Amino acid sequence: MRLNILIGGKAGQGINKVSGIIAETLVKNGYYIFNYRDYPSIIRGGNNFNIVSISDRPIASHESAIDVVIALDEDTIKIHKSSLKKDGLILAYKDFSGLGLNTNVALAGSLIKVLGFDNKVLASVVKAKIKNKLSVDALTEGYNKQTSKFNLKVLNNQISILSGSSAIAKGAINSKIDMYFAYPMTPATGVSEMLAKDQLKNNCLVFQPEGEISAINMALGASFSGARTMVGTSGGGYDLMSEGLSLQGMSQIPLVVYLASRPGPATGLPTYSMQGDLEIALRSGHGEFPRIVVAPGDPDEAMEKVNEAFYLSEKFGALSILLSDKHLAESEFSLFSKNKKTLPVVVKRLIPGQGVVKVSGYESDADGLATEDPKIAIKNADNRLKKYQAIKKECQKLEMIKIYGKADSKNLVIGWGSTKGAIVDAIDGEDFKFLQVLYMMPMSNQIKSEILAAKNVILVETNLTGQLGRLIREKTGLKIEKRILKYDGRPFKSDELKQELLNKLKS
Amino acid sequence: MDKPGVQFRTNQKITWCPGCPDHIILESARRTLISLVEQGYNKNNFAMAAGIGCHGKIFDYLNISGIYALHGRAIPTAIGMKMGNPNLELLVFAGDGDTYAEGMAHFIHACRFNPDLTLFVNDNQSFSLTTGQATPTSQPGFKSNLEPLGNFNSPLNPIHLALSAGASFVARCNANDIEHTRMVMEAAIKHKGFSFVEILQDCVVFNLYVNNKDRLMYKLPEAKRTLKKALALSQEYDYINNKGKIPLGIFYAQPRPSLDEEWPQLVNLKNKKVGWGGLKK
Repeated sequence: MRLNILIGGKAGQGINKVSGIIAETLVKNGYYIFNYRDYPSIIRGGNNFNIVSISDRPIASHESAIDVVIALDEDTIKIHKSSLKKDGLILAYKDFSGLGLNTNVALAGSLIKVLGFDNKVLASVVKAKIKNKLSVDALTEGYNKQTSKFNLKVLNNQISILSGSSAIAKGAINSKIDMYFAYPMTPATGVSEMLAKDQLKNNCLVFQPEGEISAINMALGASFSGARTMVGTSGGGYDLMSEGLSLQGMSQIPLVVYLASRPGPATGLPTYSMQGDLEIALRSGHGEFPRIVVAPGDPDEAMEKVNEAFYLSEKFGALSILLSDKHLAESEFSLFSKNKKTLPVVVKRLIPGQGVVKVSGYESDADGLATEDPKIAIKNADNRLKKYQAIKKECQKLEMIKIYGKADSKNLVIGWGSTKGAIVDAIDGEDFKFLQVLYMMPMSNQIKSEILAAKNVILVETNLTGQLGRLIREKTGLKIEKRILKYDGRPFKSDELKQELLNKLKS
Repeated sequence: MDKPGVQFRTNQKITWCPGCPDHIILESARRTLISLVEQGYNKNNFAMAAGIGCHGKIFDYLNISGIYALHGRAIPTAIGMKMGNPNLELLVFAGDGDTYAEGMAHFIHACRFNPDLTLFVNDNQSFSLTTGQATPTSQPGFKSNLEPLGNFNSPLNPIHLALSAGASFVARCNANDIEHTRMVMEAAIKHKGFSFVEILQDCVVFNLYVNNKDRLMYKLPEAKRTLKKALALSQEYDYINNKGKIPLGIFYAQPRPSLDEEWPQLVNLKNKKVGWGGLKK
C-alpha cells in the first residue's frame, strides 16, 4: 500500500509545518512516511509544497502520482492538478473560509478522516506543535466535513521521524561536539539551528562569525586548543573556506566540515537540491593533502557517518568532509533501526596550556617552526601520503559501500547520497542490485569487482556530468556508459526513476 | 628549541633584514612575557596566532604555543583558539597589509565581538615580504613595481577605525622604543576584552619615504578618556610623513563584557580552569 499526499500553498501559510504534523500523525498510527519539501527562495507568497508519501512498508522517497492534493490556495490546484491520479482527491481551502492561519490544520483534519483514522492522534500532535486554542477546533471542523475513503487501519510499527539535518546534529552530539562554526546558508543552516537550540543542554557552543572565511579559521583555532570542532556550509560558503581547508592539510589540526551542496554555479537554485559539488569536496584547497569525504544517504547513515568523520579526524589529525544536500538535509524520513555503537572521539594530542605546541601553515620542522629545507619538505609530503594510506586502512573497518536489492542480479545501479531513497524504492521487486557508495575518499576496492561482475551498469546522480562516474573511472579505469542524470534541482521520484531504469536496460 | 622557561626564545635563525624594527618588537614582546610570568602568569597559557608577512616571522622566534595562520586570518584563528580554551592568553601578531587589506572584515568584527585577546599590528605602511607594494596605510603617490603610476589612495586611520568599531582598548607604539612598547603591550594583555595595539615601524628597504617619524611622536599622558576625545586624538596623525603630531600610548581603555564573559559555556570553562579538551562530558 502506498499513498502520496501533496500539501501546497503560499510561503507563510504553514505548509511545511502542517506537513510535519501530518507525517508525525501517520507515523504514530504505525505508517512509514517520507516527507519531501519543495519551496522557492521566497519568505511570503509563491508556491510551496510538500509531498508526504506513506506506506505500510519502509520507504524513503516520494512519487509523482498524487492521491490527495491539499490546497491552501488556488495556485496549488492549478499547478498540481495534473499530477493527481484519476481517482485522486482535492481537499481545498475554500471549505474553510474564516479560519485564517488554522486552515492548514482544518485540512489536516479532513485528510485524517479521508485516510480512515480517528482524530485523537492528530489532536495531540497539533496541541503539542501549535500553541493556538482554536487549532483543535479547526481540525475537528475539518475532520467532520469528510468521510473515510482509504480505510487505513492503525498498524503496530515503532517508527520515529528524523530529517537529515537533525540526524547530522545528533551524530555530532553523539560524538561530543564542543564547537560548531557556521555562517547562515541554505541548506546547511538546519544543522546550525538544531545544535544551537540545545547547546546549553548538550554543553557545546554554536558561533556565527562574520563569514565563512572566519568560520573555518576560527574552527581550526578552536580545534587546535582541544575542542571537537565542526563547520557547516554550502557551495559558495564552502568555496570561501577552501584556503582554510588547505591550512588544515598543512597544520593537521582535526576538522570536520559539513558541506550541504545545492545547485550551482554561483547562487544557483538556493532552496533546491543537486549533487554538483562532489568534486569540490574531493579537491578544493591548494596543495596535496589527505582528506576523507563521506556521503550518507539517509538520516540513519548521517548519524553514523558524522561520528566516523569526528573519529577519523581526531585519530589522524585529518580533514573529514561530510557531503549532503537539501534533499537529505530537509526531507523527513522514517527511522526504525536500532542505535549503533558510537565510536569514541577522544582528544589525546598535546594542546596549548599543557606546554609549547606550535603548528604552521608553512612547511615546518618537528618543533613546528617554518623551514624551506628540501629534505624536510619531502619527508613531510611523504608523511601526508602515508597518513592517507593509514586512513584508508582504518576506513576498511567501516561501511564504505552498501548493497541493496537482488544480490545475484546482473543489473547494477550505482549511486550515492540523497538519491539512495529513490533508488532503493525504485528497484523494489525488480531485477536490480544497487551499489551505494558512502566513502568517496578513500574509496572501497570492492566497487571495481562489483562493476566487473555486472552485465548492465547504470549510474544515477543528480548532476550534469556524472561526478561519481568520473571518480570511479579515475580509481578503476572503468567507464560507466549508461547514466541517468537529473539536474533540474528536483530529486528523483521513485516511480519515475523505476521507469527510467527499466528503459535503460532496454537501450 | 629552548626549554619552556623565562626566555621565550627559540633556536630558529632570525631572518629579518639587518636594522629592521621587527627585531626590536620581538624583544619588547619577549620582555612583556617575561614580566608577566614574573607577575604570576602561567607561561604555558600564552598562545599566539601570526599572519603572513615580515611581522609573522615572530611566530618562529617566540617560544609559545600557536598557529602560524593564513595571510589576513590571524584574528579569527586566535578568536577560535580563545573560544577553544578561554584560559589562554592570546596574542595576535599581524601586519598592516595582512590586517587592513586581506583581513579587514576580521579586524572590524573583532572590535565588535570583543574577545579577550590582544592584537599587535606592525605597521610599516607597505607589503614588504612581497617586495614593497602599497597597503591600505601607504601614502598616496607610493610607487612600486606593481603600482608604477603611484598609489592613488589616502591611508586609512586604523586607530580611528578601531575606536569607531567599538574596540575597548586602543593604543599606539613606536617600534623603536622597547620599554614603552613593553609597557603598552603589558597593559593591553591585562585589559579584559579586545585590545588593539598599533606598532609604527620603519621598513628599511621599501617605502623609505614614511621612515624616520620619531621626531613627530609624543607620549600621551595616562588618562581615562572619552571615546570622543580618543577619536579626536586619533586624527592628529594622518599616516603621511611629515604631517601632524603622532600620539603614542593608550588612546582609549574602557572595559565591557568580553566574548568569553558573555557565553555561559565559556564562563563555565573559565571557572573550571579548563578548555574544551579538558572538560569531562
